[in-house]
Amino acid sequence: MKEIKIEEQPWLSLHRTIRITVDGIRYRLFRASVTVAVIVVAVAFLMNILSESLIKRSVAANTRERIQNARLIYAWSAKLTSPGSLESVVADLANNPPESAIIKEIQGFGDFSDREMTELRQQAAEISFVFSFFNGLDYAKRRSMIHTATGMGILNRLRTPVGREQFETALARIRSVHFDLPDEQLDALLEATPAVTAQLNKVLAARSRAIAAVNREVKNKDLLACLADADHRFGDVIRQAGFVFDSEKLAPTIAVQAQRLIDTLHLEKSMEERHCRQLIAQQANILPADVNVIMMWDYLDSGRFAGRYLERMASAGLDVTGLDAERLVSLARGRKENAALNMAARLTVDAGRGFLGLGERLAWLLFVSMLVCGIGITNAMMMSVTERFNEIATLKCLGALDGFIMLMFVLESCFMGIVGGAIGAFIGGIIGLGRMMAAFGVNFFNAIPVGDILLGMVVSVILGTLLAAVAAVVPSYKAARLAPMEAMRVE
Amino acid sequence: MAAVTAEQTNGQNPAVANGNDKRRVIIRTVGLKKTYLMKGVLTEALRGVDIEIFQREFIAVMGPSGSGKSTFFNMIGALDSPSVGRVFIDEVDVAQLTAEELAYLRCHKIGYIFQSYNLIKYMTALENVTTPMAFGGVMPDQARERGMSILEIVGLKDRWHHRPIEMSGGQQQRVAIARSLANNPSVLLCDEPTANLDLNTGQEILELLQRLNTEKGVTVICATHDHRMMNICDRLMWIRDGRIDRMADRSEVHIEIGTIE
Repeated sequence: MKEIKIEEQPWLSLHRTIRITVDGIRYRLFRASVTVAVIVVAVAFLMNILSESLIKRSVAANTRERIQNARLIYAWSAKLTSPGSLESVVADLANNPPESAIIKEIQGFGDFSDREMTELRQQAAEISFVFSFFNGLDYAKRRSMIHTATGMGILNRLRTPVGREQFETALARIRSVHFDLPDEQLDALLEATPAVTAQLNKVLAARSRAIAAVNREVKNKDLLACLADADHRFGDVIRQAGFVFDSEKLAPTIAVQAQRLIDTLHLEKSMEERHCRQLIAQQANILPADVNVIMMWDYLDSGRFAGRYLERMASAGLDVTGLDAERLVSLARGRKENAALNMAARLTVDAGRGFLGLGERLAWLLFVSMLVCGIGITNAMMMSVTERFNEIATLKCLGALDGFIMLMFVLESCFMGIVGGAIGAFIGGIIGLGRMMAAFGVNFFNAIPVGDILLGMVVSVILGTLLAAVAAVVPSYKAARLAPMEAMRVE
Repeated sequence: MAAVTAEQTNGQNPAVANGNDKRRVIIRTVGLKKTYLMKGVLTEALRGVDIEIFQREFIAVMGPSGSGKSTFFNMIGALDSPSVGRVFIDEVDVAQLTAEELAYLRCHKIGYIFQSYNLIKYMTALENVTTPMAFGGVMPDQARERGMSILEIVGLKDRWHHRPIEMSGGQQQRVAIARSLANNPSVLLCDEPTANLDLNTGQEILELLQRLNTEKGVTVICATHDHRMMNICDRLMWIRDGRIDRMADRSEVHIEIGTIE
């Protein structure tokens, strides 16, 4: 006869547990697919926002660089016209790495030694910090602290006993504002202010002399026309005047951009000719008086009519040397690209801030959506558990451990999380990609951070799975604690 | 009685000691009471049940609904714990067992057969039968082999790959019986196994249970309203108002049934 000997029940292998779970899901595919759909929606939302913010961030970085490059011509024509202000030199000193051209240039203009330069940059950084502190304040606070002083005037006012006292008392009074520069550092900075100002003025004076030297060369000509020659003789003139003007890369770029700007202005000027307007008016079927410059650019951008427009310009007596149909089209395209860049810059001003580069509002929205999804999963799992009371109790009668039941339900939820997460990540990624491409245009295609997006997908899937697992804990616990005698109950 | 039991546990060979073995106690309850708190009112489901069930016995438990029959079943099946009193399954006090040991007991020592079969819907007949073996740690290949042989006993070998939904009630109940036999239990607990079946299939199930009882020597405890059960059982037990109303051997009762018929 069999000896009754009680042992501890062994754990079922994970492999078998997974098989039983998967069989169970396959049998209730429809219900499972509804739960999966909930996860898909949540993860798709997460992934959509994630991919959009990733693309935005990357486009923002990409755009900043491209815009800076596209505006080199403006930066240099400004530089060759005016010496700038003390504050602009401070900003240049504070915001550029020591090896950059602009720092070298300032060192050259001021005739500073390396040690002096390092000290000056340090001081500029502190001054810049003081500026940004006061610029960040609203008007009332700022006025109560520093009266109406701006720029270097701030430092000069702080140097006076009255100004300093006003600042100190206001700072002590206004609790919400913190000034992080230590007192001794501020004192040292104020002490050095006259010397620094003298140094900066020296730079400005040298700059003015250099600008004068360049202007002697320009004489009565247009500065833009001269810059179009920047990769030849005019470049040498700029360098001789004391500016750091790279002949390898910068000069050709400036020359090309200058020529482009000249041609663009020339073309826009052509709109003043009735003949030219008429051509576009015919095409668009409107009155010549209603034609504007943007229409002209659209007209040229299409490419087919550039030749005809050039003929019109010539017949109107305009100078068309150096222009051909291709050039016209390329100018139109370049202008469009610039417009797209500006648009992208506007769209991405808020990129990269806050949690995951989402911004507070979106992060909160995301959190709430995940919460809602989690509750949805919990509800679905709860229903699943209630529906399967009989099955769970029977399994326990057959010798299943509480842990097995719990694991079974958590695993079930996890599988649905993985499947839903994968589908959701894919859909969300595609939607995000599509929306961003529609917003920025396809010429930002190479700005898409593929690696980051793939990583984001993996993170989304993991998050979805985690969410599903966590949401299943309570229902699973309920299932595991179910009394096996429920199996005796007849439905 | 305890002394006799101890003696016979020591006596080995089951085939030879068949006659004596009959008297070996497999389930013993002492002063079994169970009270439920329902809506603030204490309800006594069992009011003191003392019974000894012997090895190889076939016991039919009868009683109207609400008599405490189900509660009694849950107690001796180690599915619920008594409020007062003790349940010994082969002299092991169920109340002393840990959760893991209880699972082991349910898995290896007791086979449960339910009124509504309770097969796992998404498993085939064979998978249903091998699941308790898996819980008991039997290797899959071995479990498959044993499952097939058990299915052969209940006459469903050729339908091993069918799911419960593809089988008739009688076939499902036979799979359920096969499942309860998976780990060679000492006791089969049947909760109205024929209640959901028509007369003929019910008869088949009864015959199967009887055969298992006589051939495999399994103790069968059967809650039932089915009067045919009286014909095949060794002892009859009536429960009423949470107490044992009456116990009788088949020979005594048979006459009564005769008069009823």
